[in-house]
Order: sequence, then C-alpha cells, then structure tokens
Amino acid sequence: MKKILPVILLAFALTTALAYVDDALSFAQEAALPYVKKGFSVREDAWGGDLGVKEQQAMQAQLFKGNEYWFCLGTDVKGAVLTVNIYDSKGKLVNVETTRTGRLSAVRVVPPKTGSYFAIVTVVKSSQERTGWALVYAYK
Amino acid sequence: MPNILKPVAVAILFAAASGLNAQPTPDAVDLSSFPAKAIDDVVVPVPSEVFLVLDKLGNPNWRGEMRESLGRQTGNRAQAALLLGTVIAEGFVAVEAEDPEKVKDIGRRVLALSKAINVEKAVLERSKSIIDKADVKDWKAVRKEFDGALQDVKGAMIELGDGDLAQLVSVGGWIRGTEVLTSIVRKSYTTDGAELLHQPALVNFFSKKLEAMSNRRLADDDLVIRIRKMLTSIRPLIGDEEGAPIPVENVKKINQLTRDIVVSITSQEN
Repeated sequence: MKKILPVILLAFALTTALAYVDDALSFAQEAALPYVKKGFSVREDAWGGDLGVKEQQAMQAQLFKGNEYWFCLGTDVKGAVLTVNIYDSKGKLVNVETTRTGRLSAVRVVPPKTGSYFAIVTVVKSSQERTGWALVYAYK
Repeated sequence: MPNILKPVAVAILFAAASGLNAQPTPDAVDLSSFPAKAIDDVVVPVPSEVFLVLDKLGNPNWRGEMRESLGRQTGNRAQAALLLGTVIAEGFVAVEAEDPEKVKDIGRRVLALSKAINVEKAVLERSKSIIDKADVKDWKAVRKEFDGALQDVKGAMIELGDGDLAQLVSVGGWIRGTEVLTSIVRKSYTTDGAELLHQPALVNFFSKKLEAMSNRRLADDDLVIRIRKMLTSIRPLIGDEEGAPIPVENVKKINQLTRDIVVSITSQEN
C-alpha cells in the first residue's frame, strides 16, 4: 500500500490538474475566437497547468518577424486575475496590445525580429490555492 | 487532450518552485531568475507559420518546391517517424501550392505512415478531413487539419510512451520545412527572408532532445546520428545575435545540409 499510495496521489493530482486545464482551455479557445474572425489561425496544441498566486510559468516560443500573433490565456477560476506577457530573449517586453475580460486575457505581438520569445503567465490574484490556466496562440 | 499532458506535468513539477513576486506588467524581466526547467521546452512552430512570412515577402513558386515522390518507408521506426514529419511538412507545401491532388495523396500517406507506427486511429478522421477539404479547396481548413494531424500523432505517441519517436516526427517536419525555406530564400535572397532562419533556441532544443533520447536503439540509429551532426553544423550558420544578417552562403549551406538529410529520410537517390 505504501508503494501504491504515491501513485494514487499522483494520478489524482494529474486528473485534477487536467480538469483545471480542460476548463481553462475552453476559455483560452474562447479568447482566441475574435481573432479567428480576423483571419488568424489558431494552433491546435495548447499549454497549461496550475499555479499558486504570484507564481509564474514561462514558455519559450520561436516567433517570426512578418507574422502577427495573439497569445490567448484562459483560467477555470472565476474572479481570478491572470496575465500573459511576451518578452524577447533579452527580457524586454514586446506586447503591442492587451485585452482582459473575465477569465480571458490576450496579448498581441508583432515580433520586431525573428527569434526566441517568452510567454510568461502570472497568477496575480485568485481565491483558489491553485489556479488552472491554459494558453493557445494564433498567427496571421 | 494528450498534447497538454506534458506541459501539465512540467507545470506541476516546476512551477511551484517559481515563487516570483510579479508586478502587473514589467517592461523587462530577468529571464535567468526562472528555474531552468520551467522554460526548458520550446514551442516548435508549424511550417505554415514560416511559409506565411515567405508569402508576404514575395511570390514563391510553391509548386517548384514540391517533391515528386513522398519517399518510401523502410520498416525502421525512426525512419518512419522522420518520414511522417517530412510528409506532413510536404502537406503544408502542397497547400501553399494549392494542389488538391497532391494534398489528398499526402493525406492518405499520413494515414499509412501512422499505421506503420501504431497511431493510425489518432489521425483517421484528420486524414478523411484533409481529403474532403482539399476537394473543396478550403486551404485554410486543410492547413489546420495538417497542424492537427501533427499534434494528434505526437500526442498518441506520447500516450504510448513513445516520446522519443514523437520528437522525431517534429524533427522530420522541421528539416523538410527548413529545406523548403532555404530553397526559396536562396533563389530570391533578401536579408528579411534569411532572418527566418534565425532559430537558435529551436536548433538547441532539437539537439538536446536527440542527445537525451532514452531509447538507445533510436538514439543510435544512423539517421538520428546524422541529424545530430547536421544540427551541430547548422548552429553556427544561423547566428547568435537576433537581427544579424544571415549571408546567402549560409543559406545555401543549410539548404544542402537539410536536403541531404531529407534524401536519406525518404530513402531516395540524390
């Protein structure tokens, strides 16, 4: 039993986290909808997890000068405030436009150069100990 | 939602260590303050993200970039995974060329190759959808289906515990995408076009993944060894400094390197 318990706990943690992300992903995809209408293509894959308040997670992405991107973030926690900001490889903010409505946040980026960028997700405020989030991006 | 499994695990394992006191929107951040593993993975772009820029820069002859043969599978799983990646990338090229017959052929081939590596179920619907949407020339939808097929195949492989093989699909797609990119850029060289090759994080990421393969049979595969060498050769050609011009000679060298590997993957003569 001693050996099985951690496995059960891990399975439970993963199941719970996936449930968070499932809901959060729906919101992230909803956040991307207005941009699809503007001719953006949304990537099929998504990134997500759960974070405590004030915690951050970064994803490194290869972006191309000449394209325009919207990074769309969703959360499963009502009233939570999450942000997504995009930084270049030197850590300089490159957001062009940001929007936030309820559980949805989005940021537009027009990369000044082709290269590596970092999408940093932050849980600014939340009533929950862990806040599920999911991120998708669209490009045009 | 298999594609999201890995990032979730990464978040569970490492995000807790990231207790930074974030300000709402700082103008700059110290990226070195993030735990290394929290930013370990790199989001691999789909070929159409690159091709879209090429379209904006000029009017490439996409038909001229299509390969007549999609290559043949030799039975080796590493080769099958790499070949699948190149075939999916070819799908994006055929979409740019707006060639419905080629797209349909590729859709069927994706299914056959997926069967060879036991992930047929994951792409059955995608394959049908690619064919249906190519018939009505809904190119945007076809592009999305190829993107989805790539994610579904990789997700299914990861579920089967074949993460290394999934990585080879990505690598195969990137190599064929880079071959096409360099072919177009070298024919009509501009510094803006060549700048698309500035992908050091991605090259490092692939190198690291291929070096860290847990499946020794895959890691010691001749093609995989050659690809590792190719990535090492490409790395100094794409520059470190963002925005620094990549000369046409380097573009040609990268084209040759990637072309040679694509020829080997597709088991065709030079």
